[in-house]
Order: sequence, then structure tokens, then C-alpha cells
Amino acid sequence: MVRILNILKKLLPGFLLMIIFYGCSSFKGPIYPEIIYNNRQPLISVTYEYGEIKLILPLKYDGAVPDNILFKIFAQGDTLHPILSILQEAPKEFLAYLPQGVLDIQNNTNIIKIIPQDTNFDPLTVRFKGIRFGRLTLPRKTITMGQLVISGTTYLNKNDSLIGGASISLQSYDNKINTTSSNQSGYFQIAIPGEYKYAEHLRIVAGENLIFKPFIQKLDFTQSRKLKLKIGLGPSGSMKEPLYMTNKNNVHFRNGPEIGSKTLFLLKEGEVVSVDKVTPGEYFGFIEVALDDKKLVQLDGWVNRTDLRLVTFRNIYKNLIE
Amino acid sequence: MSDFYKFLSLILFGITIVFSQVKLDVSTIPKRVDIYLDGVNLGRSPISNERIKPGLHKFEIKKKGFAPLTYDLLVNPAQAIKLDFFLNPIYKIKFKTEEKGLVFELNGEHRWDVSFIRLDLEAGDHFLRVFKIGEIIDEQTIRVDEPKRFNYYLKKPLTSR
Repeated sequence: MVRILNILKKLLPGFLLMIIFYGCSSFKGPIYPEIIYNNRQPLISVTYEYGEIKLILPLKYDGAVPDNILFKIFAQGDTLHPILSILQEAPKEFLAYLPQGVLDIQNNTNIIKIIPQDTNFDPLTVRFKGIRFGRLTLPRKTITMGQLVISGTTYLNKNDSLIGGASISLQSYDNKINTTSSNQSGYFQIAIPGEYKYAEHLRIVAGENLIFKPFIQKLDFTQSRKLKLKIGLGPSGSMKEPLYMTNKNNVHFRNGPEIGSKTLFLLKEGEVVSVDKVTPGEYFGFIEVALDDKKLVQLDGWVNRTDLRLVTFRNIYKNLIE
Repeated sequence: MSDFYKFLSLILFGITIVFSQVKLDVSTIPKRVDIYLDGVNLGRSPISNERIKPGLHKFEIKKKGFAPLTYDLLVNPAQAIKLDFFLNPIYKIKFKTEEKGLVFELNGEHRWDVSFIRLDLEAGDHFLRVFKIGEIIDEQTIRVDEPKRFNYYLKKPLTSR
């Protein structure tokens, strides 16, 4: 027994040394040198949070307000397929919420089409550059009634030949709203703001730069925003020559040559008189008067000779007269 | 005056940069893991209110005791993105057999021939093959879901405790 204890005493230092250098692993068995993976797909959760675009378009109405407006929003230059269409009562501010990522944020290829549900208004287009998400307030857009347009031709009543360069103006009372003149082919087109649609004293005046009495006609846009007119200027073909023209305003057109005879009309400058008889101091002739139904009738009377001058059709423009 | 416009331009540029990026939140299980985005250490999870540009990015996560994770992600333009990573743990496994003359192979590449060995195995299924004198004599799938000890007996399902 003592011998065994002596043997253990001799082995104890070696046993302790083995514990110190190799640790407990000498009892647990060997460790495989690598971690062994099975390449299992790890669990990964990806969650996106998409923002929204709050699109605001302030609107201003210049004059009349349409009842309803259809708004269409197009993105990325695609004008065929709107991403949103909203029909609503005319708002002070158009507001729309769009999902993130639908707008072009590089260029202004996004479009809002404003389509008033009223024939007096024309559709408007607002182009804008988008944002990724958040609030986007666009510059205020003014909605006005569509323009009132008159087009037509100017021609000479005498022979129906087209007159170029005849002045055209649209007037409310005596205020000229817009002016133009007919082109070489006698064609003209003139427009004024839609707010004049219901103006009561709107008229077109043509040929003020011609030697004849200007053509004046009241305009009525209540049925349509576009009118076409054929404007005849000068005396008609039924007025026989020689033709004379008043050379000043307020020329007396009387029913007799004698002093004290009754004045039938006070003629404006440029009124054409077809002279039939001549006396030393007076001309007897005919003037044309337009009735309400635009029918022309000829009335006869007497005019002082000094108030008339002979009409020549070689130059019908005032600025070319000597 | 020109300085003012330069300053304004810088501010606007800064705003553009900030708004063109996507807010990034990253969580992991386990927590407090170093996150690398495109090779740059973002810090320890959980990470919140970071910014990431839309496009392709690489996330790398390494933690002792878990399988390393690499994840390529195409980030869409969005307001925010939240990522949750669940790391695969590595368990300590003891493998023992009383059979003699056997060679064991795990997942087609890791071999040993001792009767008792300690292994570090990623959680999940592993494929075990047993050879004797160069021939396959057994095939089994080991499911590792916790630290455990496997006892192998020839042509019997592995027992664990």
C-alpha cells in the first residue's frame, strides 16, 4: 500500500504538468479544427417604407369661375395615361396625394392638365419637376376665360375685291381693346380676353385708315367665343358714279336745295354720295343707309358742294391721299 | 451678395443629398453586432437613422459564435428601409461512436476517424456519411438546434442527449 502511494506521489507532478499544459481537453477528446457551416440561408427581413407626395397647386380665377374642373396628372412625359384624374368643384387649391416614386424628379416632364368643365374656358397645362416624396407646392396658376376670337376678311363693297391693310379694332365704348389690320389677302384675326364675353357695348370697327366711313358692328359672343365676319367697306356696287364723299363731319343732307330746307341726316366724314344732279351750289344725290336687318336702302337729298369731294378708287387709304 | 448665393447653393445641395437618400434602420438577433456596409463599419446594432443611397449595397456581419453573414441588397428609392438580420448560431457538438474502423464525413468535406470528437456546427441540417474500408456504409442528416452530444451506432439513427 505504501508502495502504491509512493508510485502515485511520483506520478502526481507529471499529472499536474499534463493538466497545466493540455488543460481539460486531454479528457474531452480532440476538437475538429474548423467550424462546419451548412450554408443555411439566414433569416433576413427587409421592410420598405414608402412616403407619399403631397402635391399642391394654388389656383386663381381671373373673373369668371367654372363650376367644375377636371384635373389630370401625368408623370414621366406619358400624356396618354394619367396617374390620377379628379373632377371637383373649382377649388382655390388643387390638392393630390401621389405615391412615392411616380414622378420624374430629374426633369419637368410631369404634367397637370386643368380642364374646366365650361366651354368658356380653355384647358391649361402645368409642367413641373417632381420630388421623391414630401410636400410639393407649385406656383399659383391663374385660370381665365378663353379668348374671344374674331376672324374674317375685308373687301370692297363696290366689286367684292379683298382689301389688305384695313385697320381692325375691337372697342368697348370708345376704348380700343385690341387692334390689327388685314393682311395682303384681306384676312384678319383678332382676339380679346374672355372677360369681355358679356360686355354690352363691344364692337368691331374696321377701315378707319380708309377714306370711307368705317365699318362698325356690335359684337355678341354669348353664343360662341369665335366669330367670323366678312367686312364690306366703301360704297356698294348699286351706288352709281360719279361718287362723292363728305370731307368733314356733320354735313347736312337736306330734302331741298333752298335755304331753310329740312335736314334729313348729319353725315359723317367719308360718307359716299352718288351724285345725280348739280346746281351751282348744291349736289343732289343718294346715300346708303343700313337698316337694322343690314339691308341697304338709298335715300335722296341735297348736299352743299363745298362739303363734298370726288371719290377716286385709285387710292382708298387715308395716308396716301395728297 | 455672391457669398450669399454660394451659401444658399450649398444649403440646397445639402438638402438634395439628404432627401435623395433612404433612411436606414438595422436590427439583429443577437444585438450588439458590428455591421459593415460596403466595407465601412456602421457601428453596433441596433442602428437607426442612418442614410443609404438607392442602389446595390453589401452588408456584412460577423460575430463569434454565429455564422458570418453577407447580404447583397438592391435598395429601392424609398423613404425608409428596415433590415432585420437573424444570425445563425454555431453550436458545440460532441460526436461519439463505439464502432471501430469507421471514417465520418460531414457536408462532403469535413472528415475524421476518431471515436470521439468535438465539433463546432452551424445550426441547421448537416449531411453525414460513414465510410468503412473506403465504402459508404451509412448516410444520415443531422439536425443541429442546440448544443448536444451525438452517439453513433452503425446503421441506426443518431441518438442525442
